[in-house]
Amino acid sequence: MRSVPKLIRRFVGLLLLSFVLLIVVNIVIIAIIASGQMENARPWSTAEQIAAALSQTENGYILSDEGATELTAASAWAILIDNDTKTVVWHSDDLPDSVPMNYTLSDISSLTRGYIDGYPTFTSGTETGLVVLGYPKTSFWKHMWPSWDYWLIAHAPQIALVVLIVNVFVILLIYVIANAKVLRSVKPITNGIQALPSGEPVYIRETGLLSEVATHINSTSEVLQAQKRELKKRETARANWIAGVSHDIRTPLSMVMGYADQLQIAPDLSEEQRHKAGIILKQSERMRDLINDLNLVSKLEYNMQPISVKQENAVAVVRQVAVDFINTDIDGKYPIEWLTEETLSVCMVSADRDLLKRAVSNLIQNCINHNENGCTIYVSVAQEQNNCVICVEDNGIGASDEQIVKLNTAPHYMVCDTNTTEQRHGLGLLIVKQIAAAHNGTTAIEHSRFGGFAVKITLPSK
Amino acid sequence: MDFSYLKSKRILLVDDEQALLDLVVSILQNDGYQSVTTAKNVKNAIQTAKEIQPELAILDVCLPDGNGFDLYEMLMRTGDYPVLFLTARGEEEDKFRGFDLGADDYVVKPFLSKELLFRITAILRRTYKEERPLVRLKNSAIDFSRAEVIKDGEHIPLTAKEHDLLSALYRNAGRIVTIDALCEAAWGDNPFGYENSLMAHIRRIREKIETNPSQPVSLVTVKGLGYKLILEK
Repeated sequence: MRSVPKLIRRFVGLLLLSFVLLIVVNIVIIAIIASGQMENARPWSTAEQIAAALSQTENGYILSDEGATELTAASAWAILIDNDTKTVVWHSDDLPDSVPMNYTLSDISSLTRGYIDGYPTFTSGTETGLVVLGYPKTSFWKHMWPSWDYWLIAHAPQIALVVLIVNVFVILLIYVIANAKVLRSVKPITNGIQALPSGEPVYIRETGLLSEVATHINSTSEVLQAQKRELKKRETARANWIAGVSHDIRTPLSMVMGYADQLQIAPDLSEEQRHKAGIILKQSERMRDLINDLNLVSKLEYNMQPISVKQENAVAVVRQVAVDFINTDIDGKYPIEWLTEETLSVCMVSADRDLLKRAVSNLIQNCINHNENGCTIYVSVAQEQNNCVICVEDNGIGASDEQIVKLNTAPHYMVCDTNTTEQRHGLGLLIVKQIAAAHNGTTAIEHSRFGGFAVKITLPSK
Repeated sequence: MDFSYLKSKRILLVDDEQALLDLVVSILQNDGYQSVTTAKNVKNAIQTAKEIQPELAILDVCLPDGNGFDLYEMLMRTGDYPVLFLTARGEEEDKFRGFDLGADDYVVKPFLSKELLFRITAILRRTYKEERPLVRLKNSAIDFSRAEVIKDGEHIPLTAKEHDLLSALYRNAGRIVTIDALCEAAWGDNPFGYENSLMAHIRRIREKIETNPSQPVSLVTVKGLGYKLILEK
């Protein structure tokens, strides 16, 4: 089923789109959070401001009022460590007791990166010393080792890309592994659904993720098969019924025909009685033909007629049928004209010789049956592209436009699946249509160029 | 053509319906057959066959104590004569089975009396050949046994192909024989592309049998369809 790869492509596409969206959303969130962290740079600038606000007087160092306000607002304390003595030469009023008053270089290095007694500290240099601001213990977290491998920073974009690709790959891998099982379950299901319309029996193992669907498909197939069997049974019963009836009627009809035939020529009967016997014989023959036709129609309709297809020369077959009719037309009431091009001596078709002869015979017989006063029958075979066209037409009474349309389109009562009172004509044309269809051919009923009725059988030619 | 010598042949007729037996017997007797014996079942048929040694058997397929196909095989164990199946079973497979066994013909009921008689005559004629008489045409005569034409007292030999073609035409004398059927008679099962050769042979035959070959009276052309041999009555 072509829709499965399409479905997979769609899923993968959606997945990749999700990645891109996820990354964009992440960047936006990080940007928003980062913008909120701008405040984190403030302690360093406050330290610088305090350093600037300190001025040296004869009585020592004095913090300006703005500096003091700033310090109070930040809830921080401040000390100034002298460059030379490394001792605290000034501090704010609220200095905690635990803050030492003397420092070594090592202490200064440590407090610059980190804390004094748990207070996060921020520094700023002045001409004479170092201003240290101490914030409340839980106000800031300080990174004590703020150094990165240079290569890492230099290749940051590439590394980020590799990480991204690896991430995508890993997620795809997880997706494929997770979905492989689903796909394995889907494949037999789609194959099963695809096979259902063919009418063949379908069975899918009822395991896996989609076992329930498989169960439903299996039961659908069983229902379809049961319907098919039932239909076949009915068709066979109908065909057998017709075959049985036609068999049983043959022997009594033989008697009717045999004795009518004898009475027809019996010298001790009157002319009128012999004439009546002749009518009985003629009508019995019609009944016999009807039985044969009925049987053949029912078998062709239900595909029970064995068709032995061989390569046949349609010209020879049709010519033989035409000649058979000419040889039996003793009083010359129905002359047959052979209109096949003289250059066409062979037109090969894959056909059952007997059925093909039957079709052409029916057409010629049709011309005879429908023209009691006689007519000329024109028979031809022509090669048209890859087709062999057999045409039987006459110059008889023909048919109206409406009748022609009906004959071409309306189903015969034998094969009509609705109640119908129409099309109650003979089976001859239906047999022709069925035989043409059984040979992958078509039948067209038309007006003849000679004024009567024309039927063309088109068969694929080899 | 006179086939009266066939009317004395012994015919065994087997069918389980008395009415049909009566009918066929009357058809045969009315046509001159003098020796027709009937049987209504397999057992009776075998017994009768032993007694009369038939020269033709006409068998129904559906019999009360067996079927006609089995009966055929049983009869052929003790005799060698032509058999015609006359049955209501018209299915192709039944026909094929009958012919496959070796039956000479298969007629499906209901049948026309004339058709049955023609078929019986044809079988008997093929099986019990009389020496072929001289076939008389308007301006000549054909002696098939010697493969020659006699015209104006002169004996003109026929070639094998000419003999085959004339035989096919003679078998259907008075009727059109198609070009294809003639090609098949002369050149076998795959007779395509022989139309020109056929015309050449027909021309040579006419030179032998006609007084004026360009205006034939015995072997006439039916344009596009075939040829017809017209016998002198």
